[in-house]
Amino acid sequence: MKNPASVFTFVTVIIGFMAAVLYHSTGESEVRDTRTVMELRQELTAEKERQQELEEEVLRHEHILSELTGGSDPEAVMEEAMMDLREKAGLTDVSGPGIIVELKPYFSEGYDGGAIRTVPSELVRMLINELNIYGAKDIAVGSQRIVSTTPVREIQGMTHVNSRRIASFPLQVRVLTDRPDQLYHYMMTSAVREFLQYENFEMTVTQVSELTLPGYDQTMRVRYMQPVKEES
Amino acid sequence: MWLPIAGLLIGILLGLTTGFRVPDAYSSYLSIAVLAALDTLFGGIRAHLEKTFEEKVFLTGFFTNIILAAGLAFLGVHLGVDLYLAAVFAFGVRLFNNLAQIRRILLEKWSRYRERKSA
Repeated sequence: MKNPASVFTFVTVIIGFMAAVLYHSTGESEVRDTRTVMELRQELTAEKERQQELEEEVLRHEHILSELTGGSDPEAVMEEAMMDLREKAGLTDVSGPGIIVELKPYFSEGYDGGAIRTVPSELVRMLINELNIYGAKDIAVGSQRIVSTTPVREIQGMTHVNSRRIASFPLQVRVLTDRPDQLYHYMMTSAVREFLQYENFEMTVTQVSELTLPGYDQTMRVRYMQPVKEES
Repeated sequence: MWLPIAGLLIGILLGLTTGFRVPDAYSSYLSIAVLAALDTLFGGIRAHLEKTFEEKVFLTGFFTNIILAAGLAFLGVHLGVDLYLAAVFAFGVRLFNNLAQIRRILLEKWSRYRERKSA
């Protein structure tokens, strides 16, 4: 390497190589798919279920549409569809098989805490979540029906559901479900039972073949939705 | 003149095609090494233009600068001081100085060339 050009070439090759490697290593840090076959299968099953649900919904809507267009009385069909929606939203009384979960204070001999006035809101929320996980269709806490916008929160030390205080004991949580026996067994072994025990509550669950849940009795406030204007 | 540029392209191509990767933890060392190499390169170009270029100085400077810069960064990481920034600063300043010198020399050459042409 006598002439400077070859030295420079040698150096620039090295620089180019280093720069390329650096670009490679800092450029894109791709997120690798590290899911196992099992996880992928689970996801696939979930997606399939979702697809089926969607297809069912499409079928239902098509049915309504055909009734509306081809049927003799569109008003009745609309009325029916609306009733169906009202029922789904939880605005009507519903009845069917289900379970009743009863919560009441339970004091051991060595209890030296204060008076128990209400079931803590986080436990009510946890109970509702567990019921929903295990297949509850409709839930009412006390006389308050749980709808999609129902708040469960603590206001001045008292738990409020639908902005109504939950103060009386025993607190009855009525649940409608297709499989009461299954839900019953799930609830008997659920984690919320243990958490309730820590807070000095006893949970009893009974299966009922027929019970009625009250509808949501307040005005539904829909704040973040608006009707779609149909183009015609 | 064209040989070094071709070399640069060959190097980049080589780096891209081999798909060689440096772990994230070491990429800062590599970046500082690149900076040191660039600094040496521009220093060499300047020396060449000033006719004071010496091959041995250039080549040894190239490798020791790279190794020292990376070593300094490594030491900084272990001491908990950002010595890496010191290297970046030093090399950055030198890089710009060299570039300014190169520009000046080239400008001078160009104006002299034009004078000769018009004369």
